[in-house]
Formats: sequence, C-alpha cells, structure tokens
Amino acid sequence: MIYAQPTFLPAGDRYVLIEFGNEMNLDLNFMAQGLASAVRQAAIPGIIETAPCFASLLVHYDPEILTLSQTADLLGGLAASLGRSDDIELSSRLFYLPALYLDPWTRECVEDYCARIAKKVPDPELLVQENGLDGVDHLVRLHSSSEYWVASLGFWPGLPFLMPLDPRARLTAPKYNPPRTNTPQGAIGLGGAANSIYPVATPGGYQIFARTPVPIWDATGTRRGFDGALCLFRPGDRIRFVPVTRDEYDAVEAQVNENRYEVTVVEYQKFVVRDYKAWCEKLPGKRA
Amino acid sequence: MIEIVKAGLETSIQDYPGRIGYWNQGFPPSGPMDSWSFRMANILVGNAPGAAGLECQFLGPTLGFQQDTVVAITGADMRPTLDGIALPLWQSVAVRAGQVLALGAARLGARAYIAIAGGIANPERLGSRSTFHKAGVGGIDGHAVKAGQVLPVFDGTGTAGLVVPEALRPEIRTDRRWEIEVCAGPNDDWIDAAGQERFLSSDWKLSAKSDRTGFRLEGPEWTFAEKAINKPKEHGSLPSNIIDHGYPLGAINLAGQTPIILVNDGPSMGGFINPYTVPSAAFWKLGQAKPGEIFRFRQVSVEEAQDMARAIKARCVAGNLVTL
Repeated sequence: MIYAQPTFLPAGDRYVLIEFGNEMNLDLNFMAQGLASAVRQAAIPGIIETAPCFASLLVHYDPEILTLSQTADLLGGLAASLGRSDDIELSSRLFYLPALYLDPWTRECVEDYCARIAKKVPDPELLVQENGLDGVDHLVRLHSSSEYWVASLGFWPGLPFLMPLDPRARLTAPKYNPPRTNTPQGAIGLGGAANSIYPVATPGGYQIFARTPVPIWDATGTRRGFDGALCLFRPGDRIRFVPVTRDEYDAVEAQVNENRYEVTVVEYQKFVVRDYKAWCEKLPGKRA
Repeated sequence: MIEIVKAGLETSIQDYPGRIGYWNQGFPPSGPMDSWSFRMANILVGNAPGAAGLECQFLGPTLGFQQDTVVAITGADMRPTLDGIALPLWQSVAVRAGQVLALGAARLGARAYIAIAGGIANPERLGSRSTFHKAGVGGIDGHAVKAGQVLPVFDGTGTAGLVVPEALRPEIRTDRRWEIEVCAGPNDDWIDAAGQERFLSSDWKLSAKSDRTGFRLEGPEWTFAEKAINKPKEHGSLPSNIIDHGYPLGAINLAGQTPIILVNDGPSMGGFINPYTVPSAAFWKLGQAKPGEIFRFRQVSVEEAQDMARAIKARCVAGNLVTL
C-alpha cells in the first residue's frame, strides 16, 4: 500500500528513515526520488545527504544544527509540497549499454555453480519458465524492449537496482539459494522484481543471462564518461540495453581497454511522472 | 615521509568524518572506528581533529621516519616503542629522522591511532583520504598499507609534551564486557515485546567474523511481531526481510537470526530490518572491542545519544590538553 502520509522512523542520532509505503511500486520510488530532489534543491543547512530506495528515503542530518523533530517537520513540509506523485518531475539521463545476451561467460558461471554447488535450471531457461515466455529469444526481445529506471544504488558502490519502465517487460525470478560465490563483472541479472548489473566480480544471487562490456564502476575515477565520478549511474537515470553480437561486444571491449570508448548517453532531461503514467495507460497488451 | 617497515595486521589511512555525501551511490563514510581516540591523537600533534592518520587493528605497524616530526598514539595499547624505548600513549612525542616507531599486539583495546603532525597527504578520493578496502578506494592504492610503501605527510607544527588528561580519554574496558548504547528504530516494531526485552537483557558475544563492514553478534533467538510475519510478499519470505531500504550507519541489521552491527565500511542498503541503531557516540566502544568480548545494550533516546556525541566533541579540542 501507499501510505496516506509518509512515516518518519528515527534511526539513531543522525538519521531518519522516511517510508512512503510498503510495496514494490515505481510510484513509491518516484516519491522517494522526488523528495530527495526537493531536499537537494532546498539546500537546507543541517541536511547532509539522502539515499532513496524502492519505497523509502534515508536522510542523514547534522544534530548540531537540527533536532530530530525539526528535521521531520522540514522533510514533512517538503513531502507535502510535492503533492501527488503525478506532479513530480525528475532530472534523468538515458544510457545505452551494449549487451551480449545469452553470453558464454554467464553461461559458464551458471554451469560452474551447477557442478560445484547446486544443480539448477540454467538461468535464462528458468526465467522463461517462471514468466511463461516462448523461449530464450522471447526473453531477449522482452528484456531489451524497455528502458530501466535506476531506483537506487547500493550493496556495492555503483550497483544499480533497476525496474523496467515498460510494465510489459516486468519479469520476476527467485534468487539463488545458496548464493553464487562469484559473478562475472558486467553480468546483467534479475532477482525478485529487480534487475541489476554487477559492477565488479562479486558473489551474487540474481539470475544472470547477459553481459555488458561497458564498465559502470571505476575506482580510479579516470574513465571517459564518468566525469571524475567512480560510478556511472545516479538514482533517477535510465538504461536501455542494446543487444549486440559477439563481434560488436569484442570491439567495444577493446575500446574500453584502451580507454577510448564513449558511453552513449542522452544528458539530463526531465522525467515527468504524469506523462509516464499516461503512456502506461495507453499501452496495449499489458502483462499482469 | 614515513616508510612502512612492517604493515601490521590491517593498518589503514583514515580521516574523520570520512567520505560523506555518497551514500546514495553506495559509498560508506569509512573513517576511524574509534573517532574519539582518533581526534585526540590529531589535536595532540596540532592537527585539525579530522586530519588523515593511521588506524591500526589488533597488531600495529613498524614505521621508519625520514623527517623530524611530532607523533601521538592513542586508543588501544599496542606497547609502542621508539628505537626500542617504550613510548607513552595519549601524549605528543618528538621523533627524529631515522628513528623507528614500532607497535605490537594490542594488550588493551583493539584499535590504536597514530597521528603525525601535518597529517598524511595521500590523495583525496571523493572528498576524503579514508581507505575503503572492500572497493579499493582511498588510502594508498585503495587498500591497507603494505611494507615498503612511503606515506607523504603535510608540513605540520606539532609540539611535543602535550597530554590528554585521563578524565578526557575513553575508558577501554579491562573486563571484556561493554555496555553499548542503542536507539530504538527504525524497525523496532517488527520485534515483539518479548524479543525487545530479550535483546536488551541478554549477553551478545562479538563474533570473530567481524570486520570494518559489520560486527556479527552471537546470542539468543529473535521473536517477531505480527507485522514481520503477515506482510506483502515483496518484502521476502523471512520475518526479518523487508523491501530493500537505506541502512543507517550503526544499524543492528537482522540477517535472518544473526544481528550484524553495520559499521564504518558497511552497506548503504539492503533487504533486512534494523530494529535498533548504535548512535555515533558509542562507536568508539565497537572500535575497541575484541572478538569474543560481551556486549550488553542499553536503550537511550535520540536526544540523549545526540548529547553524548556533543560531549565527546567538546572534549576533543586543543584547549583541553595539558603540558607534561
């Protein structure tokens, strides 16, 4: 459900957690990001930073400047001024990432897991089964058909939690049990209703079925396209996966290795929630 | 310049308050776990309280000095020596070029801090010199220091012979038992009344499987409120599962039945509840506790926790130091 009023939960001496509801719903994330954006613009002395998640916003404040109740009052006022989520407009960039679907590296990783840890249905086939698709080609078509919304970043610096903006591309999948001990860097995965990209080789629990050669994390902060940041994405960005052949994948990887790859990105535009919802309403063939 | 002769177990460059402002990209602040001792070390050598220094964990390093300077060592007692002669803690000391400072295993406490006049001058990453080992960010090449490395140091103006009065130092426990303050929330209402009572009245042992990302605790089972059991299925199947949300630093994060205190290098978000949060003023105790030691938690209000942090900050100022 979406709460009538956001709930303020104290979290120690310098944080407050604001919950907008208790379900996985893009609308709740728009509210969290809308409030984060409003807080940034208001530049309130004593509010240090915020971190949006699916349905909530964590706020870090300075108790030397603001009390808990002052912080809650200020944020409550800002949240009320945002109005309905329809009225929220968010700054958003659109990234085009080449992706080799059904790639050899994620397949090898799954086969290794089956051999060493636990037998399971290979990840692409499991996604087909779980979502009643016509086969792995259908999975590739459907997965690459939507833009993905960066709902939040976490777990690892720069790791994006993604939700498809086209409701017809919503897929679900169970997570690995037990988790994998390794995942190739750049693997694209899905667990529960969330998609993600693994910034570096890490353990993981999402079903994996594609890989991008484009780094989304750079500890040196010197890569092209990162503007000195260490992570490619910020909350509120969008990603479109562009299916490529193995040759195209290898060509991009070679450019990346020589640090001459230019990330394809449409710079900041306004994402208007009202327009997005109107578009969703008109879509034919929505998946339940 | 200072040469790392021996690295110790995990000696890392940290500054205070660390890498702030990147929580929404998944970066923790890092920084010293016992920021009380850390700040005191800095003011002893004439630095700003947050200047970059060394955190030494369990077993300290051996450092060779290539310049005259002033240093101070605080926090855990690792029996420091200068050219083999014992050095006092909580005091600024003159060091000559060519001398060797050696720290051993911690006799009392877990983390010692070494401040050098001027502060360590490694490059800033995202506004901080702190080391975040897990992702290889900050410090020198992103990790704990290694033998053979040379640390650059800013020019400083330290004075030898300054002392932190005993009453202004954190009191590291000698009986291996710690009383740690906690604030209720954000998810205390997911635990039933018996579970809340049990949390506050039980002994919790600090597990050896603890590091700068999280402190695991061993203790009794948790019991849950109705809210944790009957909930929309997107929260997940375990009572302690919740829709992924932001984690406050200090959260007592309940992964299944295992509470993990999320500390300086901890994750920014995840799908487990945080029934309690350790406030910043109690972090120094976490920093000085060794695996196997026992925690008892005492609930305080948010306002009390904020007052405690203010009191520590008021102690960590140069005007409070005395001369030998």
